[in-house]
This record gives sequence, C-alpha cells and structure tokens, in this order.
Amino acid sequence: MKPNHTFTAEQVVAGYENKTVINGVDLTIPSNRISVIVGSNGCGKSTLLKALARLIKPTSGSIMLDGKPISRYPSKQLARIVGLLPQSPIVPEGISVADLVGRGRFPHQSLLGGWSKKDYEAVAEAMDMMDITEFANHNIDELSGGQRQRVWIAMAIAQQTDILFLDEPTTFLDITYQIEILDLLTDLNRKHGTTIVMVLHDINLSARYADHIFALQEGRLVAEGNPTEVITSERVKDVFGLDCAVIPDPVSGSPMIVPKGRYHAS
Amino acid sequence: MTMTTSRPDNVSSSVAFIRAGRRHRQRRWMLVTGTMALLAAALCCAMLILGNTIYPLDQVLRALFGEQIKGVSFAVSTLRLPRMLAGLFAGFAFGIAGYTFQTLLRNPLANPNVIGITSGSSAAAVFCLTVLQAGNAFTSVAAVVAGLLTVVVIYILSRGKIFSIGRLILIGIGIQAMLDAVISYLLLISSEKDVPTAIQWLSGSLNGSKMNELPPLVLIVLIFTPILMILGKHLHVLELGEQSASSLGVSTDKTRIALIVAAVFIVAIATATTGPIAFVSFLAGPIAKRLVGNGSYNLIPAGLVGINLVLAADLVGQFAFVTRFPVGVITGLLGAPYLIFLLIRMNRKGEL
Repeated sequence: MKPNHTFTAEQVVAGYENKTVINGVDLTIPSNRISVIVGSNGCGKSTLLKALARLIKPTSGSIMLDGKPISRYPSKQLARIVGLLPQSPIVPEGISVADLVGRGRFPHQSLLGGWSKKDYEAVAEAMDMMDITEFANHNIDELSGGQRQRVWIAMAIAQQTDILFLDEPTTFLDITYQIEILDLLTDLNRKHGTTIVMVLHDINLSARYADHIFALQEGRLVAEGNPTEVITSERVKDVFGLDCAVIPDPVSGSPMIVPKGRYHAS
Repeated sequence: MTMTTSRPDNVSSSVAFIRAGRRHRQRRWMLVTGTMALLAAALCCAMLILGNTIYPLDQVLRALFGEQIKGVSFAVSTLRLPRMLAGLFAGFAFGIAGYTFQTLLRNPLANPNVIGITSGSSAAAVFCLTVLQAGNAFTSVAAVVAGLLTVVVIYILSRGKIFSIGRLILIGIGIQAMLDAVISYLLLISSEKDVPTAIQWLSGSLNGSKMNELPPLVLIVLIFTPILMILGKHLHVLELGEQSASSLGVSTDKTRIALIVAAVFIVAIATATTGPIAFVSFLAGPIAKRLVGNGSYNLIPAGLVGINLVLAADLVGQFAFVTRFPVGVITGLLGAPYLIFLLIRMNRKGEL
C-alpha cells in the first residue's frame, strides 16, 4: 500500500497573467482516498488542480507536501510522489503503446541506458491493470478514444506516484467508457492505496465515486466533505445555479441530482 | 478494429510480451542504423576514390597514411579528404540539428531551413565575407551569434499569450524572407570579385573545403552530439506536451533552452563552414523516422541520413551532369518537392 502523505494548500491564490482564478483556497487532500473537485464551468477547478500539481505557480499562498513546499522539491523527486494526467495530453505520432506507457518511467530512470527490470514490471502492471497489454506493440494511432485514455492512465500509473491528479479523465468519452475508467481508477485506489484527486463534470458520477468532494465556486472552496454532506439541493442551486431534487442513487445509495428545468415539473 | 494478438495472463508473461516487442523494434533500429553507417562509409570511400582521375582504394589508403604517391597524395589529402570530411560533419550536423528542432516543436516544418535560422547565419556569414573580408574563425562566431539571435527574435515575436507552434513557424518563415532580402542586398553592394565566392557559398558547396577550416565544425559536433544524446529522454518527454513533461519531472524551460542552444550552435557552425546546404536539416529527420520507426531516439539515424544525403548529392553534383553543380543545388531539388508535399498534406489535415 502507498504511504500516507500530508498534502495541504494554504490561502492559495493562482491564475494566468493578470487574471486571478483561484482566490484563497485552503484544503487538505485526504490521503489514500479518492477526492473529486466539482464546480461550474470557469470556477477554477482545472486551475486549482494545476496549481496543486505544480504546473502553475501560485501568486501567493503555499502548497505543502509532508511539511515542505512543493516548489522546494527537486522536480524528478516530486515526480516520483505526485503525478498528473492533463486534460488533453499530446500524442506523439506513430509511437507504440508500450513505449508511450514507458515514458511514464522517466522520473525513475537515469539519463542514459534502457529499461530496467523494474521499468518493465511497472509498465506491464500498469498495462495489465488498464487491460491494454494486448495492444502493447500496436501503434497508438490505431486505438480508439476510450482505449487511448486507458493508455494515458496506464502511463500515469507506470509513474508509480503515491498521489495522482487527473484533469477530467472522462471528458469526450461515451458513458460506457466513463464508467469503465472510473472503475479502473477505483481499482487503483483500492488495490494500491493511491491518493486520487480529479476534476469531474458529472455531479452524479462524482457523488458515486468520490470519498471526498471539494465544491468550488468563483475560485473559492465553498464546501467539502463526503458526498452526502456536500451534495444537497440548496448547495447545487448555489454552486451550479441549478434547481434540482436530490434523491439516493438506486444503485449505490450516494446522492443523485435530478435537474428540474422549466418544463416537465409536475 | 481487428486486434489479433492474444492476451497474456499475468505480469511476468506481460513483461515477456512487452520485452519481445521492444526487442523487435530495437533490432530494426540497429539494422537500419548499421546499414546507414555502412552506406555512409561507402560514400566516404567513393568521395576519396572518385575525381578527375579515379584512384584505386589501396593507393588512396596509402596516401592517407602519409605515403607520398605522385599525383595521388595531392588529390586525396589536399582536395578530396577535406571535401569528404566537410560533407561528413556538415551532413551529420544538419541532420541532428534538424531532427532536434522538429521533435522539440512537434512539426517537421519547424526546422532551421524553414524558420530562418540558417538564413540568419547565412546573412551574418555573407556580411563577414563580403563587407568585412573577415577570416574563417570570425565568420564562424558571427554565424553562431546570428543564428542564436534569430531564434531569440522568432521566440519573442511568436510568444503571445499562449505559445503556439504554428505562429512560430509562420513568423520564422517571415523572418527568413527578410533575412534573404538582407543577403540579396549584401550581394548587391559588395564588390564584384566577392560575389562569385559568396554565391557559391550560399548555394551550399563542398568545393574548395580546406583542412584548416574544419576544426570548429568538428569540435562543435563532438561537443554537442553527446549533449543532445543525453537530453534524448528529456526530448521524448517534452514531446508529450508541456503539462505531461512538467508532471514527469522535466524542467521544461531549461531543457528547451539547452536543446535549442545546442542545435543552433551545430547548425550555425555547419552553415558557416559549408554554406546552407539546402533542406538537409529538413529532410534527414523525417527520412530517419520513416526508416527506423518513431518510438526510439532517432538522433543518430537522422545524422547518418544527413551524411548520406550530403555525400550522395555531392557525388551526383560532381559527376552526374556535364556541368558540375554544388551539393546544395542537388539537395534543393530533392527538398523543395517534399516541402510542397508536406504543406499540402498538413493543409488537408488542418494542422497549419
């Protein structure tokens, strides 16, 4: 099982050039759990995730891993603890699936030399887990969207970080693949104890798969806790501006929102 | 989709399966690279054997090892050896520098030929040759400095709000046009006796290569090739995009600068030595990729393709026609249609 880490953000302010998107966020990421960041479009979910994964530098505030600011870690060392799967990673042309997954081993490798035994095992394990081993020697261009997404996640798993951030890992996928990806990520968390923090669009899927939810509104954290505490009809109205009823999900028992809209209400 | 391969059932068999695939790809890499190295060696020999008089290989070798053979020694050691070495190192230099740019910027159009870096070095070199009447060392330094300056200008102009490779290429093409105008202007104002030298140099030529002109090129290639090799894994990770690369622990800005500086040094020195041999840095990378496959680090194959292109084109230019053509004319004939083909294909795919 992955070790326990304390990952905290204090009064984080972050954004792009002269636009502040995140406006003073304090949070502690529950170790070895699945957390989901929810909020409406433009509320700063992705920006917060990028700041946490040190892709953008906060204008003020601090992000600490085990009591030390993440900016003070050597980049390769941090890359062995914290990984990120971006929303739209770039596919190099004509590369084989196994070689692509193997690029996730970069922080574990020396500058010269090929793959070690550990590299092979990590890649094989990640590919087995994502059920893509059979495509190992295929070209990435031959794969469908859902299969490619599993390749990217396999690359992030091969990196073998204790904490994994994912920026909308299910966007652009059919509902079948969305469920498949979320199940596989849950496997990763349950089997290896990997701490997962992801941004998801779908509130119902968030409520079902999250152990912990962070609700973001206009760059501020407005609620956090387990799904039952956070997902209430009042809060959905506040955060998303949506009138809805919240009922228990008939499959999982987690809260499920049923949007009202202007028509169809009895 | 039809996927015929069977599914391995546990981690150790998966490892074996993945290892077998990688071994297969590595074998192909070795085979292709080895073949290209042999071909390059053969072309090097041909460069020494062929000329106004054809000398047999054993005489050539004896002359190289210092034996004085009437006629042979002068032709081989003073004329053909420097020509061959200039082609060898310049071809390798153009190949690896072009490959580095194309991979770093994820676009075959983004190479020193197309985005104006070669033109920057050329303009500086022509200025040194015609206006300053400067010596060799000074010209080399000026070419490197001008190459780096061109990159800085292109980078600053194309930065904008979000870094866009398409914009960088278009600005590079614009800069190239401006620099080519500068070169034309320099040729117009320079004295008549300098013009033929400058023109011959500009078309990229191994003619009149001298032994004492080669050390800067050889030195830079020997220093920067290992650096580019060590940065190979970084380059592979950068290929996945800014965000993936940072999260894998690559300091993206530092790595990019190191790669660009190394590649510019190499291409500028080669340009200063032989002139801008057209399209070699543009063609070598894509040809190497086509031959070797894409997943591996194709720096050395690209360098070898560069050597083969330059030496073969020089031999063709010397002996295939009644008139002798400089090497750059022949590579230009090859490169221009490929550029057009690539533009049409990218336009179709909507990548431009």
